[in-house]
Amino acid sequence: MLFVARRLGFACLQLVGLALLVFFTIRAMPADPVARLVGMNASREAYLSSQHALGLDRPVWVQLVAWVSDVAHGDFGRSWVSGAPVMQEIGRTLPVTIELITISFVLAFLVSVPLGMLCALRPGGTADKATFVYSLFAGSQPEFWWGLLFIYIFFAVLGWAPAPLGRLDPMLRPPPVVTGFITVDTLLAGDWVAFRNGVHHLMLPVATKVFVLSGPIIKMVRQNMVRALGSDYVLYARASGLMPRQVAMVALKNALAPALTLLGALYGYVLGAAVLIETVFSLGGIGQYAVRSVLAFDYPAIEAVVLVIAAISLFVYLVLDLVHAWLDPRLSQ
Amino acid sequence: MKTLLPIGFVVALAAWGPARAETQILFLTEDVPAGLDMDGPTGSTNTSQTGFINMSEPLVYYAYGPANEEGVRTLDLGKFEGRLAESWEFDPESLTWTMHLRHGVKSCAGNEFTAADVVYSFARAKSVSGQAPTGWFVASIGSIAGFTRDVFKPGADRSLGDAVTKVDDYTVKIRQSQPNRLFLTTLSIYADYPYDSVEMKKHATEQDPWSHVYVNTQNVPSFGAYCLERWVRDDEFVLRANPAYYRGKPAIDRIVIKKVPQTANRTMTLRSLQADLTQRLTTREYNGLRTASGVTVAGIYGNEVLSVGLNFKTPPFDNPKLRQAIAYAIPYEQIARVGYAGAARKMEGQYPRVEHDYMRPATQYATDPAKAKALLAEAGFPDGKGLEKYPDSFRLAYTAEREATLGPIATVIQSALRDVGIPIELDPMPQTQISDRRLVKKDLPMALNDIEKAVGPDVTYATQLYFVSPAVGALNNFVNYNNPEVDRLFREALAELDDAKRTPMVRQIQEIVHQDLAWVPLAETKTEYAFRSNLKGITWHPENSVHFIDLSLQN
Repeated sequence: MLFVARRLGFACLQLVGLALLVFFTIRAMPADPVARLVGMNASREAYLSSQHALGLDRPVWVQLVAWVSDVAHGDFGRSWVSGAPVMQEIGRTLPVTIELITISFVLAFLVSVPLGMLCALRPGGTADKATFVYSLFAGSQPEFWWGLLFIYIFFAVLGWAPAPLGRLDPMLRPPPVVTGFITVDTLLAGDWVAFRNGVHHLMLPVATKVFVLSGPIIKMVRQNMVRALGSDYVLYARASGLMPRQVAMVALKNALAPALTLLGALYGYVLGAAVLIETVFSLGGIGQYAVRSVLAFDYPAIEAVVLVIAAISLFVYLVLDLVHAWLDPRLSQ
Repeated sequence: MKTLLPIGFVVALAAWGPARAETQILFLTEDVPAGLDMDGPTGSTNTSQTGFINMSEPLVYYAYGPANEEGVRTLDLGKFEGRLAESWEFDPESLTWTMHLRHGVKSCAGNEFTAADVVYSFARAKSVSGQAPTGWFVASIGSIAGFTRDVFKPGADRSLGDAVTKVDDYTVKIRQSQPNRLFLTTLSIYADYPYDSVEMKKHATEQDPWSHVYVNTQNVPSFGAYCLERWVRDDEFVLRANPAYYRGKPAIDRIVIKKVPQTANRTMTLRSLQADLTQRLTTREYNGLRTASGVTVAGIYGNEVLSVGLNFKTPPFDNPKLRQAIAYAIPYEQIARVGYAGAARKMEGQYPRVEHDYMRPATQYATDPAKAKALLAEAGFPDGKGLEKYPDSFRLAYTAEREATLGPIATVIQSALRDVGIPIELDPMPQTQISDRRLVKKDLPMALNDIEKAVGPDVTYATQLYFVSPAVGALNNFVNYNNPEVDRLFREALAELDDAKRTPMVRQIQEIVHQDLAWVPLAETKTEYAFRSNLKGITWHPENSVHFIDLSLQN
């Protein structure tokens, strides 16, 4: 309990620090959001009028106090681009990305752990060699390149995949938004046609992500397994006459901890860098929203996106810490 | 083995896909409207304008012209025809326009269009209550009485007064503060299209009496051909035909606009005939689609132009000979070839040829490096000696986000200028930074610019936007050009309603501005459309949006 409280307290401190950093950094950039707003009508008067409307004519400390006070009340403001509440926009875009990368991570994990184990049990075997070649191959190009290639092969040439036009066929009526996850919402609405269509549209982006993600995870599992299998406790387990499968499970538990750390770090990274895969498959997720906000100097949106992504990353780290503590009880001491 | 897994996953799910309905089209775009309030934060974004324009209707607009050789229909930019206003007359004595409004026009909400809607819409524009006062700006270009910069002063009277008044339900009078021939031009610009005031007032709040939040985030209550069915920001925008539209129900019932940021994906999807229309592809992709079965690519020289701005306030660009040397050094043909694979032509003046009152200036600048060198010497910089005193001036800025198109062009310019003795550096910078320095600070010494398009397609309008001095009301004069003779001619041409008397004035303006090289014009670039061959009616409009009412599907 104390362990969790300590971790939570530390996470909150990190968030506050990050919020302040972002607040001042974006204001120090050599560009002015008002210019984009006034567009073709950039008379001095119109400029001042727009600047006032955004509250940017106030001293930066006053802006900070107002912003902190709003955020403390759960109000992240309205986007300067769309005029809609930022939290509403994040609520719309975040599930798109979370759904994509969570499914991808689960699948990548399910695929990589057995493969990593297989490679570790017979280092230098066919499976090990094939995996080595694959890892080299998958990691040799950025994921948007693989995405475009898969679209070309599976959509344009073979015609197996749907056109890369987002989460559902644009001509199909989407289900009412409940969770924001297309797979869940279509099921809740009992709309099987839309569910199948949604899964069909998830197919290529998930396949691309799994393809790219699996390489490092397999390597990590393999190396840790090799190390664990060579350890004294595995020797002892073997000497005690345990079955090979039981020995492998003992080694796996010890090999998983570092792999989980990698997974956690990857999750935060992939969430922040989702823009590439989203752009390739026309998924309006949090990555595209973040980039759009940065390019438009949409201060309220930038601040909120950074905080939300950081909070999710910190939450994932917290969960991993707990799992680690469960795998290795010495950590929570 | 592992590499086969995604493929297996693909194969397993490959058979699922839906069927398509009829009389609807799928339009793939780089973005969907981010907001719908033209006085709001996205009023200057083309993708947002497309949403607004298709849901609203002007008082007057241009008559259709013939199709060009590629099949894109044009507008007759010299001929206005009535839309929501059926007819109008002008009284030069009182500077008052009487607009007779059409009867029986219904909005998407079912309310009838009346004079109250026109009065409401101008009152909203003058309130300058939105984040960007675009409605006020356009009305001010038309010299509607009271639409002056005074409205921005603290405590100013922002009520409409008697500038726009209702005579009866179907007649309004609009008074001007000075004779101004751009009045009808400004009425054709989307920023002053009438709203459905009955519906608008339902969504007014105490903090937001002009319903900016509602219009920007929910819907545009108006009298257009299409009504909003569904809108998911950053994703899709679906319009349904307004059954009560006064010019008859649109030929296409439903328009699905889908955001597909990657041009390659838009191209591939259209090639597979799973979409009906797309735009803003690379020239290479357009060329690839020309040979695709069932797909048509058509283009038109509209008002999209490419130029280099040299800031008159940044020495040594105040030296006219140096400006001319640069204009003679530019390899125009190479730019059209490298940047646009031929879908561009040399710009022969400071205005695109499509604009009303355009005349080709007698002064022309052909590519002539020897002449450029001679002019450079006359300017006091033989072989470029002396230019090193201005290291900060010779930095060619361009939008970094447009690197794919502008980067190679900038490199061509850099190399051509170096050959005549003018070394420059390239300075790509983010769009927001470019906007700030061009529109507000006006301090970019040298910039490549391909975004200026006058939505009022008229030489006088463009002159006011870009070339008159601030004293005369310059709005977007980002090179700080100032010529008293141009100012004088502009004032006279603006007030002159007689075409025959105005022609010599606008001719002279075009000649002087080109002699002075207010901009160094590089190319007119084609506005292109790629679409399924059964889609008919593509028409070019000055704001470069597709108007869906123009379209029909042929069996």
